[in-house]
Amino acid sequence: MPRRGSRAGRRHGAEWAATALLLVVLAPALWLLQMSFRTEASINGGVFVATLANYTSLAGSGFPASFANSVVASTTATALALLLGVPAAYALSRGGMRRRGTIAMWVLVTRMAPPIAFTVPFFLAFSWLGLIDTVSGLVVVYLTFDLAMVIWTMRSFFAAIPHSLEEAAWIDGAGVWGAFLRVVLPLSVPGLAATGILCFIMSWNDFFFALILTRTNAMTAPVAIVNFMQYAGWEWGKIAAAGVLVLLPVLAFTLLTRRYLVRGLTAGGVKE
Amino acid sequence: MSAGAGWARAQRRAFLLGLAPALIVLAAVTVGPAAYLVATSLTPLTPVRPGSGLDFSHPLGNYIQALFQSSFPHSVLLQAELSLLTVGMQTLAGVGLALLLDVESRWMEVLRTGFLVPMVLPPIVVAIIWKVLTTPDVSPAYSLLAWFGLRPGSLVTNPVTALPLIAFADTWEWFPFTMLMVLAALQMQPREQLEAARIDGANSRQMFWHVRLPFIRPALTVAVLFRLIDSIKAFPLIYVLTDGGPGRATEVTNYYAFVQTFNFAYWGYGSAIATMMVAGVFVLSLAIGRLGFGRDEDA
Repeated sequence: MPRRGSRAGRRHGAEWAATALLLVVLAPALWLLQMSFRTEASINGGVFVATLANYTSLAGSGFPASFANSVVASTTATALALLLGVPAAYALSRGGMRRRGTIAMWVLVTRMAPPIAFTVPFFLAFSWLGLIDTVSGLVVVYLTFDLAMVIWTMRSFFAAIPHSLEEAAWIDGAGVWGAFLRVVLPLSVPGLAATGILCFIMSWNDFFFALILTRTNAMTAPVAIVNFMQYAGWEWGKIAAAGVLVLLPVLAFTLLTRRYLVRGLTAGGVKE
Repeated sequence: MSAGAGWARAQRRAFLLGLAPALIVLAAVTVGPAAYLVATSLTPLTPVRPGSGLDFSHPLGNYIQALFQSSFPHSVLLQAELSLLTVGMQTLAGVGLALLLDVESRWMEVLRTGFLVPMVLPPIVVAIIWKVLTTPDVSPAYSLLAWFGLRPGSLVTNPVTALPLIAFADTWEWFPFTMLMVLAALQMQPREQLEAARIDGANSRQMFWHVRLPFIRPALTVAVLFRLIDSIKAFPLIYVLTDGGPGRATEVTNYYAFVQTFNFAYWGYGSAIATMMVAGVFVLSLAIGRLGFGRDEDA
């Protein structure tokens, strides 16, 4: 028992309690993980018989193609959002523009708007343009929230970089964008990485848009999982394995870049 | 003309050049669809009737139908119930955990990262996790209860428990957000304030209500508003766990709009519902903006 009032004792008590709580909280996710390695016969508990059968059976289905669609759509949308959004964020953080409050509000509403509001217009426009069930169509939709995200978070990263650095470059004869590329951008690599990863995760996690705007060709991994539920007669092992594969990239990114992500996830929430 | 003025103008032009492409694309993918949505909401558009998209003879028909002749008001009540339940639970869990984790140590750093996991998991995976937990055939919780001789019915197919269950799963997914925001605020509190209160002999309860809560209140308010707005958009959990049922017990506004639009193909009507949702979200966003958060330090 920790002594009452002792600070080290209290710290240990808090650490034990938090560790126990974390195990309880993560138990449902860990259960899915072990389920993905079970045989279909032992799926609901009982003796654990390890197998990779669920994963190998995925390889023979349409799942790898859907997974590839997810990778291509998320990566392309992220790259485009950075390419367009980073210069805009820099301009917003530096140029004394009158309308920047309006622009900030616009970006915030885009972040907040319910996806259902975008689906009807996009569905109709895409039917007309032949973009239904294409990866390019998904990229366009993902740009709605990725671009808003890039402008929103990179603006605060750029605002934190002292103006004196690029002013020195201007005096040396560099133009606005020359100084940006040579001085500001190298300093913002951590911010760029975090923002890029956040965009990737948001696009990767999308279920709603892909459900409505794709059929078979451009189906993404999250939608493919749901199809296992509906047509394959509840193949729990396969569903669990697909779920694990879909969560792996996101989990890896999060654990590797936690520090930077926290800043992006709370962007606009905590005053700095 | 002085060189300084020329440079200032060149600079402004360069900034506008950097801003323009992003704003044009953002306008194309947001303002365009928004205008289209509002226009569609004024028509009885449905793909089975050609020309219905240009029929503006009863522009407010969809809105009148939604407000007075449909289960839309009921869906709003369900939405309010779900949002209040889940945001309330998230706030309690988030604040509690943040207070527990607000200790400087290496191990706590690791634990904090661990607690973020539910929030970053793909929502469809969260839905699957809860589908497994709530399906009696495969759920470890049900096997455990059966071992004790208990065989409760499925919570998902019971109209009384279905909505609270969705709220609980949503809380599991999103409490880390509130936790993260509160933790960030707690760590910004000057240590002197805490020391001073401790020297004055404040006990833990007084400490929380009179020292810590007033300090974290702004961050907490914003976290609650963010979560309130996002709770309106909860989709995969409902889609996978209940599909709006049993009956219409979990058909919250967002799901109602989805069903009307994409199951029944009432595109005009669905657009009217979506327009009202955007209006509601806009008002809540305005509240966040009004609180002064999310702006540049120098704006």
